[in-house]
Amino acid sequence: MTLLENIPPGLILIIGAIVLLLLPATARKTGAIALAALGFIAISQLKTGSQLSPAFLGFDLTLLRVDATSRAFGYIFTLSAFAAFIFSWHEKSRTENTAALVYVGSALGVVFAGDMITWYICWELMAISSTFLILARKTERSLKAAQRYILVHLAGGLILLTGILFTVHESGSIAFTAFPKGTTGSWFILLGVLVNAAALPFSSWLPDAYPESTVMGGVILSAYTTKTAVYTLIRGFPGWEILIAVGCVMAVYGIIYALLENDMRRILAYSIINQVGFMVCGVGIGTKLAIAGVVAHAFCHIIYKALLWMSAGAVLFRTGKSKCTELGGLYKTMPLTMILGTIGALAISGVPLTSGFISKTLIVAAAEHENYVWAWLVLEIASAGVFLHAGIKFPFFVFFNVDRGLRPKEAPMPMLIGMGLLAFLCVYLGCHPAPLYNILPNSDTIESTSFSAIYVNHFAHVVTMFQMLAFSALAFFVFLPWLKRTPTISIDFDWFYRKGAKWFFWLVDKSLNGLNQAADREVIKTFLPALTRFVLVAPATLTAMALKPVWRAMDPDEARLAKRRKKLLTKFTTGTFPIAYSAVCVLILLTLLILIGRAHG
Amino acid sequence: MSEPRQKPFVPDQPIVSRKFWIALWLTCAMSVLLELRVHRHKHFMESDSALASATNGFGFYVALGFLACSGSILLAKALGLLLKARENYYDDTP
Repeated sequence: MTLLENIPPGLILIIGAIVLLLLPATARKTGAIALAALGFIAISQLKTGSQLSPAFLGFDLTLLRVDATSRAFGYIFTLSAFAAFIFSWHEKSRTENTAALVYVGSALGVVFAGDMITWYICWELMAISSTFLILARKTERSLKAAQRYILVHLAGGLILLTGILFTVHESGSIAFTAFPKGTTGSWFILLGVLVNAAALPFSSWLPDAYPESTVMGGVILSAYTTKTAVYTLIRGFPGWEILIAVGCVMAVYGIIYALLENDMRRILAYSIINQVGFMVCGVGIGTKLAIAGVVAHAFCHIIYKALLWMSAGAVLFRTGKSKCTELGGLYKTMPLTMILGTIGALAISGVPLTSGFISKTLIVAAAEHENYVWAWLVLEIASAGVFLHAGIKFPFFVFFNVDRGLRPKEAPMPMLIGMGLLAFLCVYLGCHPAPLYNILPNSDTIESTSFSAIYVNHFAHVVTMFQMLAFSALAFFVFLPWLKRTPTISIDFDWFYRKGAKWFFWLVDKSLNGLNQAADREVIKTFLPALTRFVLVAPATLTAMALKPVWRAMDPDEARLAKRRKKLLTKFTTGTFPIAYSAVCVLILLTLLILIGRAHG
Repeated sequence: MSEPRQKPFVPDQPIVSRKFWIALWLTCAMSVLLELRVHRHKHFMESDSALASATNGFGFYVALGFLACSGSILLAKALGLLLKARENYYDDTP
């Protein structure tokens, strides 16, 4: 396996994606699964350290930076892709398979990049390839959502690029390491990365775009963009305290909006923001334990969130519906999807014996160790809120609640296999987290790693978690009438560019174009013609006034006088002077000049 | 050829039955009783703020779970008045 020691795993997937384009459907689908598996193996074979440094524009790139953090993200990226490709066996579209592979490949590119140029190129490639997963739904709504998605990401990418250029200019190095605190470049980079992390107020692109993607697209999209952003924050901004506040706000915002939502995939989209909030907060805490916790949580989150998107995808695939007001009672005919989806829901809620319990605990413990009392409290409140919106609300409204007479078939076998694989991992890691803990960075900071240490020695922790979940469930059912879904959407920050921008356009249209029209009306159509008339008529009138005494002396008849005057005015306005008039004018002018000259002389 | 006549569909009652409520309350009661039997790990020993010491009180997680969730629901309900819009709200927007 020395062959795979220094091949960037992302490149394997991207080149593979292009080759697969040429193959027929079955070979293409099998190939995608095989490529994800190959990527996983390749990552396990990579040598620790930095390698592959081709020169580019006078800089030495680092295509492969292998350490515990990049390896852990690499493993989970390929693992989730593997399950997602099995799940989406039904998908025949060439575009989707290719886009998904390029997207995963470029996400791996970001994770293993050791320099900012490679990082940035892969980052943009992710944005472009993921857009195709939204476009692939081929509806009017998805087309518009994809347009907004790519625009937000291109804007975020430009902010990031600005930051990178500042940083390279300031430091002279393209190394992708922890950024210096407080420099302009670092702030721009942070802002660009937070756009992808769906931090407030740049959050609404996620619930706007992901739910409009295809069944497969949703599963794939849920894992990579936000988690590469989390990875980047771990690399670049560990211990930046502002991230604690950013993360806490995200965690709470995700819950409130998920509670308001009617569309099951939008509930899950807001739930991603909530979960990424935990991770961003952990990066802000920045201690060794916190970073280990963030990586563990990203790892587990990708598994259960993909599982939840899969179960929602299976429901959408079978019923064509995704709104809570149209779904319900599906446990009767889709029991396996219900069970597997519920395992994901329990895992995201951090129920003991599931993966969420063993990863979220690390971040919360890190907040406690550092005495961040408020952050700790918000994280605990958010943990209860997760159970409320993702743990109970999602499965309850989709699979239980009221029977609406939907009798779809159970999800097809490949979907069940994909979901089963991830559900197994949720429970396996929850009971036996050592394999995960061992691949984490700073794994030595984690004290309890065995089943007995976690569940027997720390039984009190299990009890308090159990209490919190039981009373959260109680609150859910007590307030159930208030949670009744309505066929509505919730206005989010995307209002500013979907409605606000339109109003802004209207305002600018009315003000600037109004000004333009007023100028046209008053200046072009009124003032200038008046001026022209004045210029034409004034000299004629003046001349007529000057000549009047001469004409009167020549011929005192008033009627002929008026006729002469009229004739002169016509000649002036039409510019048709007999040569004699001109000669007289010249003569008068010359006389005047001579007189003036004399007077001065 | 006539379509086979289908029975008119009558939706089930919501799943939340009396039995379910009893089970839920029993679970909650059991979780509280369990706390009497275990020795809880103390949080924030170095901090002397009231909030920090409250986290170690009996039933803290009971209150946290219930209050956090009811608070979130109430907040969402209140914000919903402001933020909810009809489904085709954005449809005329490019």
